[in-house]
Amino acid sequence: MIAALAAGKAAAGASRLLRRGGGSSLPGVVARRIDPDVLTSLTVGQGIPVVAVTGSNGKTTTARFLAAFLRAEGVQVAQNSAGANLLQGLTSLAVGTASLRGRMPDAIMVAEIDEAALRLAAPEVVPRVLVVTNVFRDQLDRFGEIYAVAGVIDKVAQGLDAQAVLVVNADDPMVCDLAPQRPGRRITYGLELGHDLDRLSSAADSIRCPRCRSELEYAHVYLSHLGEYHCPSCGFSRPPLDVAVTKVEIDGLRGTRCTVRIPDGQLELSIPQAGVHIAYDAAAAVAGALALGVALDHGESALQGLRPAFGRLEVIDAGECEIVLSFAKNPTSFNTTLRTLAEAGEPRHLLVAVSNTRVDGEDFGWLWDVDFEGVVPRLVDVTVSGLRGDELATRLKYAGLDESRMTVVDELDAALNRALDETPNGERLVVLAGYTPTIQLRELMQRRGWVGRYWQT
Amino acid sequence: MTIAEFAADEDAPTLRIAHLYPALLNVAGDGGNVRAIQFRAHRRGIGSTVVDIGLDESPDFAAFDLVFFHGGQDVEMSVVAADLQRKSGALRDAADAGVVIFGVCAGLQLLGRRYIPSSGPAMEGAGVLDLETRGGSQRFMQHAACDVTVAGDSATVVGFENHSGLTDLGPDAAPFGTVIAGAGNNGVDGTEGARRDNVFATYLHGPVLPKNPWLTDHLLVLAVERATGAAFVPRPLDDSIEDRNHQVALDKAIANRGQRTALQPAQMGR
Repeated sequence: MIAALAAGKAAAGASRLLRRGGGSSLPGVVARRIDPDVLTSLTVGQGIPVVAVTGSNGKTTTARFLAAFLRAEGVQVAQNSAGANLLQGLTSLAVGTASLRGRMPDAIMVAEIDEAALRLAAPEVVPRVLVVTNVFRDQLDRFGEIYAVAGVIDKVAQGLDAQAVLVVNADDPMVCDLAPQRPGRRITYGLELGHDLDRLSSAADSIRCPRCRSELEYAHVYLSHLGEYHCPSCGFSRPPLDVAVTKVEIDGLRGTRCTVRIPDGQLELSIPQAGVHIAYDAAAAVAGALALGVALDHGESALQGLRPAFGRLEVIDAGECEIVLSFAKNPTSFNTTLRTLAEAGEPRHLLVAVSNTRVDGEDFGWLWDVDFEGVVPRLVDVTVSGLRGDELATRLKYAGLDESRMTVVDELDAALNRALDETPNGERLVVLAGYTPTIQLRELMQRRGWVGRYWQT
Repeated sequence: MTIAEFAADEDAPTLRIAHLYPALLNVAGDGGNVRAIQFRAHRRGIGSTVVDIGLDESPDFAAFDLVFFHGGQDVEMSVVAADLQRKSGALRDAADAGVVIFGVCAGLQLLGRRYIPSSGPAMEGAGVLDLETRGGSQRFMQHAACDVTVAGDSATVVGFENHSGLTDLGPDAAPFGTVIAGAGNNGVDGTEGARRDNVFATYLHGPVLPKNPWLTDHLLVLAVERATGAAFVPRPLDDSIEDRNHQVALDKAIANRGQRTALQPAQMGR
């Protein structure tokens, strides 16, 4: 294992020198080649508790919130903060955390894990806590149907150790019903606002009862198919919440304040990131801390200074104007971001980009489930880019965007220049992009000295 | 997706469009097909109204000019199949009456006679098209293209296929197109989709109509001519954005010719 560690760490150093992305997955690749069991040795082998965070949306932010809560209580945390959430990324995290002699510090590992990687990762790290945020439609061409995704998570949840804790977003019917027969501890979280924040649309993914497939009835809808539901046919309903957000206030693009009820009191959280989804992520993180038995004595201040993860409505000072960089990868994340932006009267000047890559997928049909129709009236000028800018341009045209307000610029650097040129001084440019173009655009911004490197946020 | 109602110009018709099970068959963005027809009709001054048709409803489909029946996941498909029997007679009547029916993926399969999944009971289709589909062991997930002829006019249609069902056409159904790239109905016989009268069904998602304005306009002409009883020649539009979209998709389909998937899918296991 020592050889694997040395090689992995050397790879990380080399990758950083070459600026290939913070060495987020290469060290894991190298270390695993030398010692396939290195991840298990460094975690299970040394009694390091692992919290696994999985689900379609909100993994990165939930893991960041949980890490911040734990650190505020003096707990040391190892976290894959660059979103390197496949097996190699997790291994890199462990390799980077361990000393050269293979000793892990007395820390909790908070690991976001890709839904498809979970099946392989769970047996290697034997999670103490599994947090499941939600299951939305995401990359059908990679994951297949959402029922397949839920099925994999269900299998992992059923296979958890008896002492492990399963944390579920009870507002998501399929997530709520994961491993229903499992005897171990389960913590539920969700929203309990008593009023709607969203309405069911035809883009909602999972509004049928996970048990009998009847159509669910919603007392309140909070975000896409998340809400307070019950099944009129079999009686399945959202259970009582152990951790409940009882109040949410969103302040433009600046932040979210929410009240979170926990079993022995409540927390008033003030988070410098905006959106209903942020309230869900915060509740998930609170529930994760509860699962670990960590009391949140400093919880109310823990998230106050936490900047967004890269490209999550990240506000960037670009000199003459301000850029809001937002990464969106599926209809729900796109629509959630657009809703948050709409609260602030945005977007008006827009750069939008999608690319087909191994991680972004090949099929962009889901763009037709993004509510661009609702955005078009506000748009003054749009630059379209990325390897599949052609697809986006068609979508925007059919959403009613006048062609005179849209320019397709294939190359990202030129697209960024054009979008900035079209944004008057003192105004805001919104950048909405898929995963790969977000990273590429952020790198361009970093070269211009506007932001740090993405793995350092 | 918000579906707008478009008002017609004076003396122009308003198309009556039925959108079958939009809340169930919604995973692949196929609703964009409805948008494309409405948009291109609107640019010619033709109005349109869309009626969403859900479970338990049994409308007279012959009262519509166009019916859309899109793709969905297996669970939703079985819910739809159980409901479909109350609609199948009216759908067959509409097809006989020349209503334009456009089916995609699960819509194609359920317009057929039967769908026999790999596990579980067989589902009865609407019997509009003479075809049968069996569940296959492999998923075809890739850019695809086929040659299509409508009203003596031929062109290439592009899209993205994502299905594991294997469809065989019976003697009373013609293929919608001939495979250029992709698996088509079954990966073997080179047929893509199915067709009879004004019923068109395909495996192509994308959604397929926005990036194939040629096909959209042919469907539009058939629907308008049915609505008015008079010949209709649509005014040409500037399709440079759609044409580029079409070309990029076609290039990807051609480049992937002979493959079964565009991506190595995640191993989700069973």
